[in-house]
Amino acid sequence: MVSVPTAASVPPPELALALSGVTLALGGRPVLAGIDLVVRQGQFVALVGASGAGKSSLLRLINRMLEPDAGTVAVHGADVAGLDAMQLRRGIGYAVQGGGLFPHWTVADNIAAVPWLLGWPKPKRMERAAELMAMLELPPHLAQRFPGELSGGQASRVGLARALAVSPRLLLLDEPFGALDPETRDELGDRLLALHRAQGLTTIMVTHDLADALLRADLMVVLDGGRVVACGPPAEVAADPHPAVQNLVATPLAQARALAGMGK
Amino acid sequence: MIAGWETLPSALAAHLAISAAALALALLVATPLVLLMPGRPWLRRTVMGLASVVQTVPALALLALFFPLLVLLRNLTGLPVPSLGLLPSLLALALYALLPLLRGGAGGLAAVPDSVRDAARAIGMSASQRLFHVELSLAAPVVMGGVRTAAVWTIGAATLATMVGQESLGDLIFAGLQLQDWQQVLLGCVAAAALALIVDGALGWCQRGIAERRWAPAAKGLVLLGLLAVGVTGWWLHSRPATQVRPVLIGTKTFSEQYILAELIAADLRAAGQPTGVRSGLGSGIAFQSLAAGGIDISIDYTGTLWTQALGRSDVVPRADMMRILTEQLKSRYGVTVAARLGFENAYALAMRRADAERLGVRSISDLARVSGKLKLATDLEFLSRSEWTAMRSAYGLEFASMRAFTPVLMVAALKDGAADVITAYSSDGALAGADIVLLTDDRGALPAYDALLLVAPGRDDLARRLARYDGRISVDAMRIANWQADRPTNKRSPAEAARWLAKETGLQR
Repeated sequence: MVSVPTAASVPPPELALALSGVTLALGGRPVLAGIDLVVRQGQFVALVGASGAGKSSLLRLINRMLEPDAGTVAVHGADVAGLDAMQLRRGIGYAVQGGGLFPHWTVADNIAAVPWLLGWPKPKRMERAAELMAMLELPPHLAQRFPGELSGGQASRVGLARALAVSPRLLLLDEPFGALDPETRDELGDRLLALHRAQGLTTIMVTHDLADALLRADLMVVLDGGRVVACGPPAEVAADPHPAVQNLVATPLAQARALAGMGK
Repeated sequence: MIAGWETLPSALAAHLAISAAALALALLVATPLVLLMPGRPWLRRTVMGLASVVQTVPALALLALFFPLLVLLRNLTGLPVPSLGLLPSLLALALYALLPLLRGGAGGLAAVPDSVRDAARAIGMSASQRLFHVELSLAAPVVMGGVRTAAVWTIGAATLATMVGQESLGDLIFAGLQLQDWQQVLLGCVAAAALALIVDGALGWCQRGIAERRWAPAAKGLVLLGLLAVGVTGWWLHSRPATQVRPVLIGTKTFSEQYILAELIAADLRAAGQPTGVRSGLGSGIAFQSLAAGGIDISIDYTGTLWTQALGRSDVVPRADMMRILTEQLKSRYGVTVAARLGFENAYALAMRRADAERLGVRSISDLARVSGKLKLATDLEFLSRSEWTAMRSAYGLEFASMRAFTPVLMVAALKDGAADVITAYSSDGALAGADIVLLTDDRGALPAYDALLLVAPGRDDLARRLARYDGRISVDAMRIANWQADRPTNKRSPAEAARWLAKETGLQR
């Protein structure tokens, strides 16, 4: 299934993700223009930028929900163009804002969706779902509930649990906590970071929450107009004079300074 | 017992069968279209647009349109495509059921949240897994809503299938409407409404079961549908006469004279041991087409009507010539035999209130032409588009202040209450026997003769021989009185009773 890497451009396997020269247009509109990006295994990456900067599209190129017009995307050293799209997606965790849960499936069935696709027997699926619910601090009695009965925070946890169901090495998160209240968001952010570290995951998270990105990420990537305008540890990126970066970080940093002043 | 009760089981079974078949056909067409729609906005727009256009056509017009279309198809392909009865009804009703099905299907699929669709793709579901386990499952309640609407519409519209010769509950409604037998109309309406309510209720249970993902309500709905089908079929089989031979079918158009004469002949044939049925309420041209195609065996028609509709002629020839040419050409062109000329005429005529006619000095249509510019004309639904009107108008130079079409049963009432000053009438019309109304003579002979004929389908010369004894036996006075017995507002008789009176009066009783 996996093509033998022969071309010199193929990156070494310790790189969880390598994009080189990736260009994408959707409906004739350029979305990404020559993206080069390297993510090492175990990194927690925050992908930030204004709306329409191409963050979600970049995420979707990784599991082939979109195909680039030019350039290559490699996951763990293998060019994804040579992989079966469905197998690839089943092997990569993916969570979206609000969970994107199937409203007609129970919480347990939602969490065990990928195991179901992989043909696991039912008892094993239910056991795994219970395990993940405990891991994400979801009370066990929710297992047979439907998503419509959950709070926003619970739904996000279920979405996260579904993404982690078959212990993927790579986790893609598209604003997973976008619609939550700040307190729940912060709590879930911590939970996620702990899981990320405990399981040795590589996580790529699209977020609008700059504080989240600045505080938790190892690597912060700023997209603007379809290009990477800054990439590095959050502290370095925050100091980058690029106007797109400063537009993003100025307000949260000013707020943080003001809040710190109040604490004194 | 309510008139029409004995035909109810068979009409109900036919109604249910045609509705179910049309709905199944519509589902068969709508399903692939709906499944192809996601990601193809042009297909969605085109299909929904066409379905909406179809919906704006009244159901009756849609049924009527399939008749010429199928005739055209038969002429083009040379295949024996039936243009009456089951096929046009099935096609028109299925077409009519498409819109709610497409709306339900497309609407249901469109209502699936993007985030859910996205998540299904992102976790690695295949296209068919996404369709069946996510999109269709989520769309199912809305889709079922569409099926419910389509089922109720179809059951309602199927009453109109009567007009193209398909048996349905419409038989009772149209026969009752014509005879002003409101009990029979009500029986047909109540039966159709009950059918629609039961089916809607059963599908409602199915919908609930699907929406709540529980088997119990869905099973209840399916059981109710099953019981309905078994019950109606059982009642129909039980009420059906034991004989297996196809009965002789007498077709009638939508007016009392036809019903009475059909009952007269039916009683006669039954008395001779011949199982006989009546297919009532056929459209004017459709009765003849149906006879020529062998869908019915006997019909009552009129020389002037056949002259224009069957032979396509618009010239006016002497009565005897017309009779001779018709007898020859109906046989050679359609295989239809003229079994008897009944002896009375049911001609198109113009009629006025007697008081007006005397005041204005009008006795003939020529007289009328002098004063018609100030008068209001009411006609039956088809007169103004018939060649008789063209001929009459050009022969006399008639112009009216206004012209409006009415349901035939209401025309005399329109004349009496002043809504009209002149009406089209039929010379054998029963209402003329009672009312203070005068018929105006066709003094220039612009209109063809309308002698009533008994026609027999191709290959049924045995029937023609048995009906030959009706030749010249029914006078216009006798027919008018029999019609009046069925049409009068009070002390009304059923067509069968009027037929018994007529049989006695004319000595045709055996």
